[in-house]
Amino acid sequence: MRESYLISISKKISAVQLLAILFFGLSCVFAIIAIVASDVFFLRLATEAMIFGGLALSVDLLLGITGLLPLGQALFFGFGAYASALILKNWTTSIWIVLLISTLFSALMGGLAGLIAIRSKGVYFALISFGLAQVVSKVVFNSRDLGASDGIIGVPNAEILPGLTSGDPAVFFSFTILFILFLYAGLNYLLATPYGRQLIAIKTNEHRVAFLGFNTWRYKLSAFVLAASIAGVSGALYPMLRGFVSPELMFFQVSGNAIINVIVGGTGTLIGPLYGSALLTGIRSVVGSFTPHHQLVIGVLFMAVVILLPRGIIGYLAPLLDSWRSRKRNAKIQEADHG
Amino acid sequence: MIDALEWLQYVLAPQVINGASIGVAVVLMALGLTIIFGLLDVINMAHGEFYAIGAYAAVVLIGMGMPFWWALALTPVLMAVVGYITERSLIQRVFHSKDRHTLTLLLTFGLGIVLEDVLKIIFGANPLRIETPIGGAVEMLGLFFPNYRLFVMGLGTLIVAAVWILIFRTKIGAIVRAAAFDRHMTASLGVPVNKVYALTFALGVALAGIAGVLLAPIYSVFPTMGRDFVLIAFSVVIIGGMGSIKGAVIAGLLLTQIQSISSLYISPVWSDPLLFGCMVLVLMWRPQGLFGRLGHA
Repeated sequence: MRESYLISISKKISAVQLLAILFFGLSCVFAIIAIVASDVFFLRLATEAMIFGGLALSVDLLLGITGLLPLGQALFFGFGAYASALILKNWTTSIWIVLLISTLFSALMGGLAGLIAIRSKGVYFALISFGLAQVVSKVVFNSRDLGASDGIIGVPNAEILPGLTSGDPAVFFSFTILFILFLYAGLNYLLATPYGRQLIAIKTNEHRVAFLGFNTWRYKLSAFVLAASIAGVSGALYPMLRGFVSPELMFFQVSGNAIINVIVGGTGTLIGPLYGSALLTGIRSVVGSFTPHHQLVIGVLFMAVVILLPRGIIGYLAPLLDSWRSRKRNAKIQEADHG
Repeated sequence: MIDALEWLQYVLAPQVINGASIGVAVVLMALGLTIIFGLLDVINMAHGEFYAIGAYAAVVLIGMGMPFWWALALTPVLMAVVGYITERSLIQRVFHSKDRHTLTLLLTFGLGIVLEDVLKIIFGANPLRIETPIGGAVEMLGLFFPNYRLFVMGLGTLIVAAVWILIFRTKIGAIVRAAAFDRHMTASLGVPVNKVYALTFALGVALAGIAGVLLAPIYSVFPTMGRDFVLIAFSVVIIGGMGSIKGAVIAGLLLTQIQSISSLYISPVWSDPLLFGCMVLVLMWRPQGLFGRLGHA
C-alpha cells in the first residue's frame, strides 16, 4: 500500500503544471460560455490577452530562464505584426504562411539584434535592448512606406482552414489558445532538455558555465533568437485580431507591459506570464472603462508585487499548493499505514 | 572663403551653442543616473519622470508668484526630499535582495509609470510653458548668443564642477566613494551607509530636477517630457561607463554635439538612431564604456 503511494507521488505532476492545466482548462470553459452567450467583446479581449501572453512567454524565456532582462521585446512583437500585416495585405491570407514567414523574419531580426545586445551583460543588456526597440520604433514611426504614425490599416482576415477565418472571434480565440498552448508546451519541453538546463545554469551562474567549457555566448544568443521568434509570431497574430498595426506596438509601453505581466504572474514559471497577461489585460480593460488613468493602478500593483511578492503570483502560489498537497498525501499515507 | 566663414558664423556656431546648452542639461541628468548607479547599483528608470517633476515643480512655484530664480533654487531642495523619501520607502525594501539589479530596475520602472500618470492627473496632458527668465542675446565676434542659453551653460558647468569637487575633494565625497568601493568595510568604520545611500539618491534626483527646471523655458513642460530625454541620458551613461562621473561629462557633451551638428545634414528624426549607433560602436570596442566606475578609478 505504502509503495504504491510513493510511486504515485513521484509520478504526480508539479503544482506549476497543475496550474497550467487549470489555466488552459479555464480558457476552454471561458470559450464555451462566451460562444454560448454569443459574446464578441470578451472573446476578442481574451484573444488579445493571449497574444500578449505569447510576448510575455518570450520575455520569461529571457528573464526567468536565461536571466537576461529585455526592456525592448516589443521590437520583435511589432516587427512580427508589421510583417504579418504586409503579407496579409499584399500577398496571401493563409495564416500558416504568414506565421511561418514572420517567425523566420523575427528570428533573423533577433539574430541581428542579438549580435549587438548579447555582447553586453546585466543592466547593459537591459538598456541596449531598450535602446534598440526605441530606435527601431522611431524609424518605423517616421517611415512613410510603413504608414508612419498611422500604421497599416485594413488588414484582411487570415484564413486558418478553408471556411475558417480569423474574423470569427470564437474560431480565432480557439486558434490563439491552441497556438499559445503549443508555444507553452514547446518551451516547457525545452526546459527539460540539456539545452534548457544550460540556459537555467547561465541564469544561476554564468561564469561557472563558462568555466565548465560551454560557450555561454552561443546559448544566450540562441535563447535571444528563440525569444525574438516567439515574440514575432505572437505579434503576427495581432493584426489578424484588430485589423491594423501601428508603431505603438513597438513602443516601450508594450515591452513594459510584457515585463509587468511576467513579474506579476511569476518569472521563470512560464505559466505565470500567461496568468499575468490574462489578469492584467482584464484589469486594464475594466479599470480603463472607469478612468483613463489605469496605468496608475497597474503601476502601483506592479510595485507592490515587486516589493512583496518578487516571485510573482504563481511563484508564490505553487510552493503553497505543493506543500498543501504533500501534507494531504502524508496524511493519507499515515492513514494507510494505520489501516 | 567668405562662404566658409559665414557658414561657420551663421550655421555651425548657433548649432554648437544650442547643442552645448542642451548638453549641459543632459550631463546633469546623466550625472544623477551615474552617481546613483555607481554607488547603489540601481538603474533609476524613473529618472526621466523626476526630470519632469522638476520642471512641473518650477511651473507650480512660478504659478504661485515666485520669480524664476527662487523656483530654480527651491526645486532641487524639493527634489532631494522626494529622492530621499523614495530611497528610504521603496528602494530600501528590495535593496538587500539577491537580484538587486533587476528588482530595483523594475521597481523604479513601476515608479516611473505611477509618477507619469500622477502628473497627467494633476496637470493634464497638454504642454505648459514657462517664460524665458532672461531674454535677449549678446553679440560676440559677430555672433548672437541667446542669454538664457549662455546662463544654462554657465550654471550647468558650475553645478557639474561643484558635484565633482563634492565627490572627489571633500570628506563627504570620500565617504561616498568608499561606500561605493566596499560597502561592508565602510559600514564597519562607523559610516551610516544606508543614510549615505539615501542622500546620494537624493542628490541624483535633485540633479534631474535642476535639469528639468533649466530646460523648462527652452522646451515646453508635459508629463512624458522625460521619456526621450532619459534615453539620451542613458546612452551617455552607457558610453561614458556606468558609474563614471568623468565619462558622463565627456560623453554627454560629445553626444549632444554630434546630435546637434548632425541635424544640419540629416533629418532630426535620425538623430536617435545615430546616437544609438555611436553607443553600439563604443560598446563593441569597450563593453564597459569609456571610463571606469565610481570608487573604482
